[in-house]
Amino acid sequence: MSIVLPLLVDGLAEAALIFFVAVGLTLVFSVLRILNVAHGSFYSIGAYVAVLLGTWVIGRGYAPALTFLSMLLAAALVAVVLGPAIERSFVRWTYGRPEAVQILVTFALFLIFEDLQKLAFGVQPYSQDAPMQLLGVSSIAGVVYLNYSIALIVLAVAVAAGLRLLLARTRFGKLVTAVVADREVAQTLGINTERVFVSAFTLGVFLAALGGALASATSGVAPGLGAEAIVLGFAVAAIGGLGQIEGALLAAVIVGISRVVAIYFMPELQPVAPYLVMLTVLLVRPFGLFGSPAMRRL
Amino acid sequence: MLEMRSVRVVRGGFAVLRDIDLSLESGRTTLLVGRNGAGKTTTLRAIMGLLPIEAGELAYDGADLRRMRAHARAALGIGYAPEDRRLIPEFTVEDNLLLPSLALRLSAKQARERLRMIYDLLPELPALRARLGGHLSGGQGKIVALGRALMVGTRLVLLDEPFQGLAPALAHSYAETLARVRAERRDLTLLVTESGPQLLEALVDVKLQIERGRIDSLAPARSDAAESAP
Ligand SMILES: Nc1ncnc2c1ncn2[C@@H]1O[C@H](COP(=O)(O)OP(=O)(O)OP(=O)(O)O)[C@@H](O)[C@H]1O
Ligand SMILES: [Mg+2]
Repeated sequence: MSIVLPLLVDGLAEAALIFFVAVGLTLVFSVLRILNVAHGSFYSIGAYVAVLLGTWVIGRGYAPALTFLSMLLAAALVAVVLGPAIERSFVRWTYGRPEAVQILVTFALFLIFEDLQKLAFGVQPYSQDAPMQLLGVSSIAGVVYLNYSIALIVLAVAVAAGLRLLLARTRFGKLVTAVVADREVAQTLGINTERVFVSAFTLGVFLAALGGALASATSGVAPGLGAEAIVLGFAVAAIGGLGQIEGALLAAVIVGISRVVAIYFMPELQPVAPYLVMLTVLLVRPFGLFGSPAMRRL
Repeated sequence: MLEMRSVRVVRGGFAVLRDIDLSLESGRTTLLVGRNGAGKTTTLRAIMGLLPIEAGELAYDGADLRRMRAHARAALGIGYAPEDRRLIPEFTVEDNLLLPSLALRLSAKQARERLRMIYDLLPELPALRARLGGHLSGGQGKIVALGRALMVGTRLVLLDEPFQGLAPALAHSYAETLARVRAERRDLTLLVTESGPQLLEALVDVKLQIERGRIDSLAPARSDAAESAP
């Protein structure tokens, strides 16, 4: 029993990181109606930028607590620099084209980003775990946890709730909801759909980059991180039902827990556990836990 | 106020609209009749900027609408109710009605005034304000869609087959509603399409016939159109 709890915390912390990727993927899918393979790149770029900024903060002798701010700054920077530029160039070009074209174009973009990252950072892992060290550990009933893991879990739940509030309560959220429900009618009511696309895409980039930035404190950043993020993120989005925020949250938990259970009972199954879950869910519910074929809402 | 000159629209490699000429005068009601597939919906969608115009001119008070994106029409006071009502299902009726004011960044006061005006004009609506857009009957949805088009269309409103799918009694009451709107908003310009135009005879000033993508005949529906008073 004493091993299950820490594993559970680990699993949920991992779920939190995947959730940041999956929820952005799902948001972009609903609003722009594209499956963006390059979404995984924003995760890894966010991780690299966070490590660079964090290392700079520590190197200059500033308060280590500033590394929390630098992670947030890294995500915002990646979002502001890459979000609008990528949406207005490559992604916009794919609107209304067949899904196969969209996937090929965004996959090409992903490969370009991978190479650019290798060019810039090489293949050796980078790491900056100051934020995780700072939060330290706590022990409950004799079991030791990383406080950083708990913080990740809390943050993921807060982000899910925040997105829900954003959609339900704000002007931007209502415009997004309308665009998701009926693009054409939205336009005739005066909604600048292109602007909504850019904003939603940029928000998606921010969430992925934030996930990467937060992940960078827990493990080394090296090539392959983006690929893992997009594959897991897609699995989670598919399990939850594409376009579903709460679905993505629940699916991330299921995937996280399934990895924990695999580690505990059958370690050799651990890498494939998420995909076994995905297969099982999709066989029973082809549109995911929360999805349906006709649904046009977040 | 709205002028279409030699407008040509191609869909699926086929010229759906060929050489459309249409001129709407301020404060008039124009009826566009035509058989199924004649190009009525396509004409309205072309005006709204929802599909590309291959050739020709589209002007609104002298401004070139072809160079404006679809959403810019709302700010010009052009409202549109599509063939099917297409409300946002997860919004309440009131939120559906207020969506244009949100998009156009109207002040809370302006938005409330517009809403009040719509509620006065369409007294069926206040009772439905808290219902979800997805939970309305066909007839209720039509009235809400009309209200939404009027929220946007302070100057020009395009209605695509407003009677389609309404039972005779409902269609009749919808026509009465429209007549009331017409009577109370004399400045409003209306363009209505209909395959069965009988219900509108009384309020139509100009009647146009569209056939195979061309407006064939224009005959004034009533000789005294200009000076008629209710
Ligand atoms: N996307 C499209 N591709 C090919 N043809 C199209 C397309 N959209 C419309 N058409 C054709 O254009 C013609 C005009 O269509 P439109 O919808 O404007 O007719 P309508 O007068 O509104 O008819 P209805 O009374 O049935 O609503 C029809 O022949 C239709 O088949
Ligand atoms: Mg039609």
